[in-house]
Amino acid sequence: MWNPYSEVAPATARRLGLGSVLTVLGLWALVCGVGLVGPAKLPSPWAVVHAFIQLSWNAQLGSSPLMEATLWSVSRVLIAGVLVVVIGVPIGLLMGASPRINATLSPLVDPFRSAPVVALLPILVMWLGIGEAMKIAFLFLGAVVYLVPMVRDAVRAVPQAYWISARDLGATPWEAVWHGVFPLARPRIADAITVAVSVMWTYITVAEYVNAQKGLGQLIQNARRFSAMDQVFAGIVVIVGLALVTYSGMVALKRQLYPWEVE
Amino acid sequence: MTPNVDTAEPVAASASPAPVSMRLTGIVQEYPRADGAGAVRVVDGIDLEFARPSINMLLGPSGCGKSTVLRMMGGVRPFGVKTPTTGRIEIDGRPCEGAHDDVVMVFQRYANRPDLTVHDNVAFPFRFRLWKKQISASMVEQRVKEMLEMVGLGGKANLRPAQLSGGQNQRVALARALVLRPRILLMDEPFGALDAQTREEMQQQLVSLWEQQQCLIVFVTHDITEALLLGDRVILLSNPPAKVTDDFTITERRPRSALWLRSTEAQQLEERLLRQLHAGAKRGQVRVTV
Repeated sequence: MWNPYSEVAPATARRLGLGSVLTVLGLWALVCGVGLVGPAKLPSPWAVVHAFIQLSWNAQLGSSPLMEATLWSVSRVLIAGVLVVVIGVPIGLLMGASPRINATLSPLVDPFRSAPVVALLPILVMWLGIGEAMKIAFLFLGAVVYLVPMVRDAVRAVPQAYWISARDLGATPWEAVWHGVFPLARPRIADAITVAVSVMWTYITVAEYVNAQKGLGQLIQNARRFSAMDQVFAGIVVIVGLALVTYSGMVALKRQLYPWEVE
Repeated sequence: MTPNVDTAEPVAASASPAPVSMRLTGIVQEYPRADGAGAVRVVDGIDLEFARPSINMLLGPSGCGKSTVLRMMGGVRPFGVKTPTTGRIEIDGRPCEGAHDDVVMVFQRYANRPDLTVHDNVAFPFRFRLWKKQISASMVEQRVKEMLEMVGLGGKANLRPAQLSGGQNQRVALARALVLRPRILLMDEPFGALDAQTREEMQQQLVSLWEQQQCLIVFVTHDITEALLLGDRVILLSNPPAKVTDDFTITERRPRSALWLRSTEAQQLEERLLRQLHAGAKRGQVRVTV
């Protein structure tokens, strides 16, 4: 039991994980079933399932509010995600490749890693209004301040031996970085992107609180306004589920693309 | 390195070796002390001359500055330090300052790219403009194939470094250096991390490669046996600050057998080296106690 280096068989691991989830669900059902907490504070699991079904298909409108909200949120994360990667990765690469560039840019980037990006929301609203641009910009900022330093560190984590070796074989300093260092930083950069996307999923509700019209954040916000706690829970479950799916998808993709490790 | 004319190049690189000379004059290297008070002298006036393709062993105790000297020859400089502090290095009579493409280096750490196959690792240097503009893609393909056969990895061209043993990985690194057909090859304890048996195999491999593709090798080691087995010439450096304390040639043909190592000649050479190494160590101790 107390051996941090021992391995758990995958089947056992799955059983243990499932067991703890079911335990929490059971306790939740028990607390609600015996009426320990009222439905206004904690909806029962079956109420959440019911709300989920209700949100999944609205017969009156002939559409699925949940699906619509999900698509809006997903597309926002997707757009912001592409921007984060296209802009953040090159900046991180350059910072990692050159201590001079890093010294120049890190005062602009590093403080935001620990600063509350949420506090920037009012400023973004003033600059960009309450439309899509603001929401994308907020997601972008929230994620890019994590991504850039992580990409930089990924580059720096590549042992110097690779750069020196490329130089000895006739590479210019830039060629040594491009052919000898950057390719080996890819697995860690993939990790950084995975973290950045996870961060965006945590910020999506905040981004969609303002001028909530479409999206999962809006769905939760609206439900809260009408004290429909079951719907709030259903919305949260969907976001957690989406975050989990993207996360495990990206981890699997990384394993597929980069099955090697840097010695 | 002289540019190769693609069509005129022989298939096997067994042509008569290109002449090469390297001369070190009055090499001194000092590093600033960590606390900023003055400087530490690591290399204390070295003069060496290499005039023909041959295997030259640079032998010395650990930390004696032999790697520093080797790196100087290769133009690899530590950041922010003038290298060498004084003295001159010339290759074919031309002063050599900074990185240059007359030499290729092989380190103990082979630094093969883990994401590339053995074939692509050996072809790796040809991604750089320096070589790309000299050698056509088809020529590269031919050379890489030849090289893989020469180091006995022809059948493993599509494997990745993680699927190879340490010795095989060092072979890849060696092939990646020799595929450039350097006139000068600098080796910094390349087999230091290998187990005894693999190391022996690699030494034999190096000898046979050198027979096929002769160049000027300067090989740093702290292993007396390795020096005696491989060297046309053995240069002994003292404890730091390093000076040349011995310099002799060995005429015995390679590959040299274990039997030869037990011969009177080899035993005498070994004792000669050991005596000087011990003498140096004692002087070092006295200096410490004073």
